[in-house]
Amino acid sequence: NPETSLTKFELANAVQSTVTGTVTDATGAPLPGANVLVKGTTNGTQTDFDGNFTIEAASDATLIFSYLGFQTQEVAVNGQSTVNATMAEDAAALDEVIVTGYATETKRETTAAVSIVKAEELAAIPSGNIEQQLQGRVAGVTVLTNGQVGSSSQIRVRGFGAFGGNEPLYIVDGVPTSNTDFINPADVESTSILKDAAAASIYGARAANGVVVFTTKQGSRSNRKTRMTIDISGGVSDPNVGGAPEQLNPQEMAEWTHRAYENNAAATGTAVQYSHPQYGTNATPRFPDYLHADGQNGVFEADVDLAQIRANYEADPANVFLIRPNLAGTNWFKEITRIAPVSRVSLGFDGGNESGRYYMGISAQNQAGILLNNDFARYTARFNSEWDIAPWLSIGENFQVTYRSVVGGFGGEGGIGGADDESVILSAYRMPTIIPVRDEFGSFASTRASGFNNPRNPVRQLTLNDQDDTGYNIGGFGNLYLLLKPIDGLTLRSSLGGGYNNSHFVNYGFRYLGDSEPQASNSFSEGSNYSFNWTFTNTFTYEKLFGKHKVKLFGGVEALNTGAGRFINGNGINPFSTDLDFQSLSVVQSPNVNSGQFKGVNFSSTFGKLDYNFDERYYLTGVIRRDGSSRFGGNNRYGTFPAASAAWRVISEPFMQDQDFMSDLKFRAGWGQMGNSNNVDPNNQYSLFASNRGRTFYPIGGQNSGADEGFAQSRIGNPDAKWETSTTINVGLDAAFFNDKLEFQIDWWKKDTEDLLYNVPLAGVTGNFAAAPSVNIASMANSGLDILVAGRGNFTEDFSYDVTVTAGFLKNEITALAPGIDFFDGRGYRGIQATRNAVGQPISTFFGYNVIGYFNSQAEVDSSPAQDGKGLGRFRYEDVNGDGAITPDDRTFLGSAVPDVTGGSTINLRYKNIEMEMFWFYSIGNELFNQSKWFTDFFGTFEGSAKGRAAFNSWTPELGNNAAAPIWESASNLSTSGAGNSWYVEKGDYLRLQRLAFTYSFDDNIIDKMGISKLKIGFSANNIWTLTKYSGLDPGIGGGADTNFGIDVGNYPVSPSYLFNLQIGL
Amino acid sequence: SDEFLEVLPTGSLADAQVGTKDGIEGLLIGTYSALNGVFGNRFEGPNHWVTGSIMGGEANKGTDAGDYSSINPIQRYEIDPTSGDINQLWLGRFEGVSRANAVLAALANATDVTAEDAARIGGEARMLRAHFYFDLKKHFNSVPVFDETVEAVDVVTVPNTTEVYPQIEADLQFAYDNLPSTTDAGRVNKWAAAALMGKAKLYQNKFAEAKTWFDDVIANGVTPSGEKYALLDNYAAIFNAEFDNNAEAIFDVESANDTGSTQNANYFDDLNYPYNTGPDGPGNCCGFFQPSISLGNSFRTSAGLPLLDDSFNDPANQVADNFTFSQIDGGDEAAFVEDAGPLDPRIDHSIGRKGIPYLDWPGVDGVHPGSAWIRSFPYAGPYSPKKYVYYQSQENSLTDGSSWTRGYALMNYTIIRYADVLLMAAEAEIEAGTLDKALEYVNLVRARAAKAEFWVKDADGTDAANYDIAEYTSFPDKAYATAAVRFERKLELSGEGHAFFDLVRWGIAADYLNSYLAFEGSKLVTKFGGASFTAGKSEYYPIPQTQIDIQGSDVLTQNPGY
Repeated sequence: NPETSLTKFELANAVQSTVTGTVTDATGAPLPGANVLVKGTTNGTQTDFDGNFTIEAASDATLIFSYLGFQTQEVAVNGQSTVNATMAEDAAALDEVIVTGYATETKRETTAAVSIVKAEELAAIPSGNIEQQLQGRVAGVTVLTNGQVGSSSQIRVRGFGAFGGNEPLYIVDGVPTSNTDFINPADVESTSILKDAAAASIYGARAANGVVVFTTKQGSRSNRKTRMTIDISGGVSDPNVGGAPEQLNPQEMAEWTHRAYENNAAATGTAVQYSHPQYGTNATPRFPDYLHADGQNGVFEADVDLAQIRANYEADPANVFLIRPNLAGTNWFKEITRIAPVSRVSLGFDGGNESGRYYMGISAQNQAGILLNNDFARYTARFNSEWDIAPWLSIGENFQVTYRSVVGGFGGEGGIGGADDESVILSAYRMPTIIPVRDEFGSFASTRASGFNNPRNPVRQLTLNDQDDTGYNIGGFGNLYLLLKPIDGLTLRSSLGGGYNNSHFVNYGFRYLGDSEPQASNSFSEGSNYSFNWTFTNTFTYEKLFGKHKVKLFGGVEALNTGAGRFINGNGINPFSTDLDFQSLSVVQSPNVNSGQFKGVNFSSTFGKLDYNFDERYYLTGVIRRDGSSRFGGNNRYGTFPAASAAWRVISEPFMQDQDFMSDLKFRAGWGQMGNSNNVDPNNQYSLFASNRGRTFYPIGGQNSGADEGFAQSRIGNPDAKWETSTTINVGLDAAFFNDKLEFQIDWWKKDTEDLLYNVPLAGVTGNFAAAPSVNIASMANSGLDILVAGRGNFTEDFSYDVTVTAGFLKNEITALAPGIDFFDGRGYRGIQATRNAVGQPISTFFGYNVIGYFNSQAEVDSSPAQDGKGLGRFRYEDVNGDGAITPDDRTFLGSAVPDVTGGSTINLRYKNIEMEMFWFYSIGNELFNQSKWFTDFFGTFEGSAKGRAAFNSWTPELGNNAAAPIWESASNLSTSGAGNSWYVEKGDYLRLQRLAFTYSFDDNIIDKMGISKLKIGFSANNIWTLTKYSGLDPGIGGGADTNFGIDVGNYPVSPSYLFNLQIGL
Repeated sequence: SDEFLEVLPTGSLADAQVGTKDGIEGLLIGTYSALNGVFGNRFEGPNHWVTGSIMGGEANKGTDAGDYSSINPIQRYEIDPTSGDINQLWLGRFEGVSRANAVLAALANATDVTAEDAARIGGEARMLRAHFYFDLKKHFNSVPVFDETVEAVDVVTVPNTTEVYPQIEADLQFAYDNLPSTTDAGRVNKWAAAALMGKAKLYQNKFAEAKTWFDDVIANGVTPSGEKYALLDNYAAIFNAEFDNNAEAIFDVESANDTGSTQNANYFDDLNYPYNTGPDGPGNCCGFFQPSISLGNSFRTSAGLPLLDDSFNDPANQVADNFTFSQIDGGDEAAFVEDAGPLDPRIDHSIGRKGIPYLDWPGVDGVHPGSAWIRSFPYAGPYSPKKYVYYQSQENSLTDGSSWTRGYALMNYTIIRYADVLLMAAEAEIEAGTLDKALEYVNLVRARAAKAEFWVKDADGTDAANYDIAEYTSFPDKAYATAAVRFERKLELSGEGHAFFDLVRWGIAADYLNSYLAFEGSKLVTKFGGASFTAGKSEYYPIPQTQIDIQGSDVLTQNPGY
């Protein structure tokens, strides 16, 4: 027995005696389960339920007390037989705990690349979804969120492993989930991000995109009164109207319209025609008294019979408009936005006794978006508890219910896709400034007035169509678990968890005849769905110290379903009355109801992990997981994912003991494989036929109403598909200097995804209605460097600082697609193809013609290579292949939406009771495709709609290649607005001051008198300053699809907000 | 366990379920559904408003330069193989082929289908397959040809080098031999197959064979409801949903509302309405598909007959239009006076003109108001589409109002109508030397157009313009007859998607269209200035580059010139 011999060895060197004591927290409550260790030995024990311990220690020994969430404390025995310890709670120490979902370990022990985010950082800003707070806090994690309240985020951990489905796996209290929007950030105790295989492989098949583990708060097993914390935040978001791109004012727009007519005439060698219906036929434009007067356009007082028009209006108010020009100019962005209030109130209760503990949290958050009628609300209640039934048996539960409501949002995937939608924000760019918000009768005014093309009054859209809409989701999420400790060192855990969701929406649309493309019908739609998912996990942990050899063996089995349920929704038009109390699917015309069911995906898994360390110097970890999934056919249903990692804690070596320069030094290295199948349809293995009302139905009887059901092949199956496998290598270094005053954490990593599931484009001849199967054919490489540098210390006794800087470098490259296929293109907008995904390039690389200038003279036009539509002042493209003609083959790669490096910096300064926190975020080395310029910077794109100030710098012979846009004219062709090119591509680098906060903590003696334990007030300003050269509203542009992101068609901007915060502890 | 890991799909059917008789009937309906396209792209529409009509010089894109700008290079004959629209057309038609093949493959394995049903189902599927292939042939010339016996994995290796017509003819022969005369109104019958066969023969210049087929259709053809083919008295009724499945409809695409999707209504035409009419006009949007000035001029008559010497674009013969009046000659549009000269009455069934009543729409003061209904007057010219446009009285009853625009109309688009057959038959007769028969057919068509009670009337009941149409008294020679028949196709079938393909098969596309571009480009300078049709290239559309990229240039050979 090696333990015996080691003990003997130690006995020979010191006089041993029995030491007893009690470990309590600051309130005097005993801390059961605290660790007590004789320093410099492996001799240790844990306190019992009363916080008492007994240990053999030498009379000159030092005892080390440690407990999760408390500062580690060393107490010298000094020959005494009783040693008590009072532990101080410490947030910093908390950070050292890594919760992997199945187990916890300390940062000291880990061999993997794991990042932790402090609870208070997550709770700081009342964002809609908790994951938004991860932006810039963790090296190697990119988070892109637009400013829509309640919108989801595009989160990527260490690059893009696949062409889709790159979302990380979320674990909340041990239960996997695909989204975390139900969580109240104030309820979260800790967040761990498992970045490499060594950390994440325990989640095997679903881990390839990283794992984000949230653990919610819990009470403590101590006899003390229940604590209560109150956290109140309130404030406003400012739409930052002054920062929005400016449009031409009415006078400028009229002049530049005439300028365009002159340029048109010059280009074609014809006489100038000043033909705009509002500005008159002379070279100098004039304004009419009425843009529109009941069918007449561009008319003067003398031309209209106002009495008749008023009579007509009274007879048919929806169809008669009288619109005066707003010569001062309407600021449409200002009109669609507002100062938006936000408030969040969270109450937390925690407590416990020696045999149980609990936490209860309730919260209410109400947040208005800067856009009219875009509102978010979330009400949550959480109850966590754990009870000891016997010394060897505990049961517990975590349970949350959430009501969540988002109205007025746009964009797919919970709003992520909003950047590339033609939204109301784009409408505000496109609506001419001369049109007032309302006409003389108080109706909304719009492009019924001729000459302004087809933009829609966005105030009307937001007001009429959004204000009565409802949409909410009610869900429960949680788990029930059992902890068994049958013998010393062995813990068995059984957990049954899951979530239930129910949602419902009502959407009204109202008839409006004032647009040039009017909404002719009232419309109504309504729908709901439910889904239920579950996870059943059974694990064991066996931990034992054999002298200096510590072994921890962990294993388990898990079965889960990702969510099954049904949905039903319907729509229809023109109910008899538009009274909200009247409308339902029962009273609309042409009702169209759809419903369906889904069964989710089943997983069945077995996994194990072995941790070994020798003397806390040498660490070895091995992980293996085998997953089976219903996504795949019998041939390849199971995947096995191994990982191995090691660490050398140099700081524990004897030769490091006699120095105080370094306080930590650890090298880590790991290799492993992880899987991903998010991007695969659950039916991928099946060949199926289906019906589709639009695409397979036909009125075979020749009827004019209703169609007969038909079928067509809807899916071609691939029974051979299998997991995507990401193989990662991670080499890391943790170092700390000067007693932890300076810390480094550096990880170099490489992630190669093989057998990437790719929907090989089907040849048109095979029929393209059927969905192509995912085939394991492509590959992608990601590599990068994650750096975290932290420094802390005191300037004076009262003045301390704490600075953290993170940087995540990323290189992404598609290394193979299908045989014979070198690329596939992203979606195009308005005929502009922006992105191409090509072998040898990063995902979503911008692609098109390279603009080398403008045609500055007729001689240049004549002498340059053949180019469709070439002409004076138009784009001159590079003849990339040098064949003397500009053809599609001359398109080239123009930049990447993937940043080279992203990161953040947190700066905390504390002076006495005052704390200042600053958080900066930066993103460097990416480009953006500013497609909103397509609408605003060419006269000829929807001629007549509002144009931007690019007009002032549009091409003239004098400006030449310094022009900001091509010549101001109507033509639209390959050489102007008809092709994607480098002119749209802009630098996307930015630096943003995301948070500047001041907090004042009242002195203990004051709050004691008030009978409370904590009182803090704070003020924060968020997103107040951005440094960027990007000309759009906001450089933080995600997108719905990874193969087509970074395209800005009127993104919802992140806007400044100012918040007041009050924290009270009772 | 493995059982736990088998989750069966929901909401769809497996092979065994569609392999039954009822399943195959469903697959067949799915094949019909592909007639008006599958993927919702407007180029998939059966009416070929861009590839047939605009490219044939009958219309231009309309609207403004920046709207749907990918059509700009197409209408200038500068089409690029990477055009997404052309790829969509390819996808839509081959999806149709694929669905027809799925019916035929399932039929071959079915055990519960009677011989009679099998003949009918097989006949319908092969007729539809022939139609899809004919469309592909007209557009792309060289396409891969395969039938249901070719395995899916082998389909992608079939090169586009084999002749297409033999399979089209075989399919149509089978359909003719096996299809009944009377059937559901939405299905094809044997006479539709016969008419399409005649057309296929004509496209191959097999005039004698074409004549045989047309003779059979004219003598014996009946609609699916058993009605003998005939010309409607009222020309406008052909384009009116109220008269769907009429005696003139030989092969058409059914359209319906209340189906849960506007794709079953005429979604491909949803942009093709006057612009900014509000509720006083049809549609919501978008001012596309504006008839060309040249088409307008073509309706000029002299002694009731068209100007066969192509002098209709001469200054003296041009039809007065408000664009030329105000934009070119600098007049005030309000002072524009309508053309008083003699016109074929079909002009005002085909073209929305200023000052003429626009179906039953209020317009402005009861007529089309001119530039107020045009999105970009300087860019796109004076005219609005009028043919496949619904009436105010049909709003929401014979339209589908459930989507973003009101412009989902329900009249069936007629792929082949009886007047078309008569005029094709006339071509065959001319080649056979029977000019009198050709004269008779052409005059049948003209006589219908000459029925004055159906001409467009002003509010006071008088003719809206100076309509003057007469029958030909004789065809003195083949050249005259040929010119007359070709001109009659333009007048009778304008805007129905045939013109470009007619010009190409007649071998006169380059001459005709370049002279069209010269004239139209002198008016619509921004749109057409400098454009030209390239003989030997522009007759066919490029094989979509996307498809060559997928299948390989060793399988798909690009058309000449691209």
